Order: sequence, then structure tokens, then C-alpha cells
Amino acid sequence: MIKDITLGQYFPMNSVVHKLDPRLKLLFVTSFIVMVFLSNNFISLAFCFLVTALVIAISKIPLKTVLKGLKPIILIVVITSILQIAYNDGGITLVDVWKIKITSGGVLTAVFMALRISLLIVMSTMLTYTTSPTSLTNGLDRIFAPFKKIGLDFHTITMIMTIALRFIPTLIEEVDKIMSAQKSRGANFEQGSIIKRAKALIPLFIPLLFNSIRRAYELANAMTCRCYNGGQGKTTMNALKFSKRDYLGLLAVILVIISIILLNIYCGEYNAEFTFGLAI
Amino acid sequence: MSHLQTENLTYIYGAGTPFKITALDNININIEKGDFVAIIGHTGSGKSTLVQHLNGLLKPTDGKIFLDGENIHQSKSKLFDTRYRVGLCFQYPEYQLFESTVYKDIAFGPTNMGLSVTEIDERVRKAAKYVGIPDEMLSKSPFDLSGGEKRRVAIAGVISMEPEILILDEPTSGLDPMGREQILDLIKNYRETTGNTVIIVSHSMDDVARFATKVIVMNDAKVDLTGTVDDIFENSTHLQDIGLSVPQITEVFIKLREKGYPVSEKVYTVEQGYNELKRLFEGSVNND
Repeated sequence: MIKDITLGQYFPMNSVVHKLDPRLKLLFVTSFIVMVFLSNNFISLAFCFLVTALVIAISKIPLKTVLKGLKPIILIVVITSILQIAYNDGGITLVDVWKIKITSGGVLTAVFMALRISLLIVMSTMLTYTTSPTSLTNGLDRIFAPFKKIGLDFHTITMIMTIALRFIPTLIEEVDKIMSAQKSRGANFEQGSIIKRAKALIPLFIPLLFNSIRRAYELANAMTCRCYNGGQGKTTMNALKFSKRDYLGLLAVILVIISIILLNIYCGEYNAEFTFGLAI
Repeated sequence: MSHLQTENLTYIYGAGTPFKITALDNININIEKGDFVAIIGHTGSGKSTLVQHLNGLLKPTDGKIFLDGENIHQSKSKLFDTRYRVGLCFQYPEYQLFESTVYKDIAFGPTNMGLSVTEIDERVRKAAKYVGIPDEMLSKSPFDLSGGEKRRVAIAGVISMEPEILILDEPTSGLDPMGREQILDLIKNYRETTGNTVIIVSHSMDDVARFATKVIVMNDAKVDLTGTVDDIFENSTHLQDIGLSVPQITEVFIKLREKGYPVSEKVYTVEQGYNELKRLFEGSVNND
């Protein structure tokens, strides 16, 4: 159960996508998310889909792993789709039984929405799959460095993020261990009413909290011992630098953004009846 | 019929993924009632995975585990029953304490077993006595205790379930020599008083050589050797090959023998060594 969480997981591979500058990847994913929201017709959405497929192909990450990242949001997609089908009554009526009325407009909007959400999630997980947490926060650190002039210390925030990401696997391991230990003493996490199960979590959370605070103290001490004093004058071992590959990537990103904008303008807002007619 | 027995026990982590690791490979072990078993092996040899199978925490990929001849995965109730009959105390058990008082923490297991209040009280006090926790400490918060005390409280939390088989995973790791002696002594006393089966997982030969009636050596997910302490330490070179060693005092006596001194190599404790040397100097060495 706990091991299904893929967000924030790095999947090391030797690919061009992995080697790109994290700042470029951050820029791309942010603009891609905006573009997916701006897409107002099936053709531009299909283009976004194509871009996503291309990124997955180049990154060499197995499709199965990518799809695993979709698992936690299946419920959201399904609920959104059902709501769309139930409340949208544009287009041709397909089914009309008792109080249930399904229209082509509803179905198409549902598909559109489902696709949109899935693309968002897949592209965001691709970012964390192809970028190690350190390089990701390093990228964020650099992007937001100028804000320091107006009093926003992003270095602290990115350091907190780095540490948080670093401790996700440690915490998962710890949860597993404490659960096993309490199970050995007859704790039952799987059976009983909701209240009973919530109570059963106390023997898990108290040691977990206690150990986390202890670990935080230890880490803080270790960092202080190595002269950490915030971002002041801190340099990085692997300073980020835009290479030729990154400039080519930047060009590709700009082209993708322009293409989507053009597709949005020229293919127009999607019209349920029109598209449905095309489909038939 | 063995008390606890495994049959072709195999366990694979991440089966069906490219990251699969065989942690246990065809393990067949027999443990009799009253045995004092030591499972030794270097880090990653599969010893911790093995003991987590013995009380049903992990489900084997292949093979079976029998407690008194019955498969422990037969039914869900059988599995819960097994957890109480085979008490497993994890490595660094002090990190699992959670209750507001030592008393309540030791009582966690017996409470889960659904025992009566008087029965629980009796067991908590008995377990506390075994591990040398004085009565006045029972009302303290477990988080206020020292490391060694916490460890003893955690061990008491398992003993209080009165398991027929007590398993301790690296019970002395991270303790100073005195803490180690205390823990090993209490385990020895516990076994002598109750006559229950005890299994200790360790990588330290010095710890196990003194008490174990049976030693299981694990290497690379397999059982490498089984036998008495004497049987195992006869293979001292083989032990060194797989990253283990004989007790330091045994090493001294092996070296002495190599130098031509008529001493026994079967010396596993300092006390035995002292007696052996005394015999050597008094000139009455039995050369066996």
C-alpha cells in the first residue's frame, strides 16, 4: 500500500531527458501544465498526448512504471468523468432510461477531462522520475535565487524540500519496521471497525513521531558540525550550466508551446456535436 | 516431531520485478523444544528475514513453516495464535515503545491477547522481574529511560506474552559491554527458569558461543552449517571465508596450538581459557 506512492520517486536511467538541466525540465513541465489547461479542442490535446508519449519514449522509463503513477488518481478521474456524464446535456442524447440521461456532449467532455488530468499527472511524475531530488531542488534554488533581493529566502525552502524528499524512503522503511514489531505483539492493523483501526495506529505513529524528531535533531547537529549556516555564500559542487543539449531542449520546448497555442487558435473551441459527427 | 520446522522455505523480495532479490533460498531447519538456538551470519545473509517468517510476519514465496506440526499459514486465527506463541523481538526494539508508562507498554501484548486484568498484571510484573526492571520504574514514561533500560523494557514487552519460543534479533547491538552482559545474562536466566525455546540472531560469535545448544550459520540466503558450537567452530577457516569469525579467545587458543602448545581448541569463553591455561601451567593438560 505505502509502496505504491510514486510521487517524488527518482527512476535512474541513462537518457537525454535525465541529463537535461533541471531548470529546463521545471520550465517545460510548468508551461506544459498551463498548455494542457489552455487546450480547448481534441486536436491540441492529442498533440499534448503525443508530446507526453515522446518524452516517455526518449526517457526510456518503462510504460508500466509511468502508468503506476496514475494509480492514486484513478478515483478522481472516475468521479470527474461520472459528474461530467451526469450533468452535461449538450449534444445528441445517447441513452435516456428513467432518470439517467447520457448525451454525446457528456461523454466527450468526460473523456476530455480524464485525458487532461492524466496528462498532467503523467508529465509531473515524469519530472520526478527523470530528475533526482537533489538536482530538482538545486534547479528550484537557482530559479528562485533572484527573489532573495526582495526578502524571499527560497534557499531555506528548497533545503527543506531536499531533506523531506530524502527522508521519504527512510520513513517508509521505518513504518514497515514498527508495524512488523507491533504486529509481533499482537497489534491488528487490518481488522475491526474504523475507530478500532484508527486506535490501532497509535502504536505506529507515536514511535514514528518520536524517531522523526530524534532524527531531525541528529541531522541538524550533523549539518551544524559541517558549518551549514543557511544559503549565505554557499556554492554547489555541481554548478548548473546550460549546455548545447539544453539549448536544443529549450528550442523544442518553445516550439511545443507555440504549436499548442496555434492549434488552439486555428482548430477552435471544441464543439461536442461537431467532434461527435467527425467520430462517426 | 519438531517444535518449529521450516520446509523448503524460500522468500523473494520484489518477486516479478527487475529488482528481485532472493533473501531465503530453500531453508530447512528444525528446532526442538528447549533448544537455545543461535542464528549467525553477516549482514544481508537473510537471518532477519528468516526469523520474520518464524512468527508469520512474512509470508513465504515458497515452502512451509510448521509449529508443532501445524502449518502456521493454515488460517488467519492460526496466524494470530502463532504471533503469541512465537514472540519476536526486533533489532533496536527501544524504538517501538509508545505508551505513557513502562507498565502499559509491557502490557500491550497481553492486552491484545484479550487476557483478564489480573492476568495481565501478573504477567507484566513477572516479565519486568525477568529483565530486571524494578517496580518503581513501571510508572515512569519509557521515553525517560536510558538506552539499555529501554531495550530491557522492550524485551519485557515480548516476554510478557509468555511465548513458547522467544526470538531476539540482534539483542545486544548498539549497547556498551556492560549493557551487553546484562541482556545476555537475562536471556540466559529467562531460559533456565522457564525452559522455553530461545532463538538469538547475531553476528557476534563471542555472544552466542557461551550458551547456544545449536548454531545455524546463514550465508548468502542459504543455511551454510548447522550443529553444536563445537561442530561449527571446527570449521574456523570456512567461517572466516564467509565473513564470520570464531570468538577472540578461541582464536588465541588456535594460535597457541599452532605454536605447539598442548592446549584444547575448544575454548569459547574467557573462563574456559583461564582454566585451560591453568592446566597448561600446572602441567596436567589433557591433550584431546
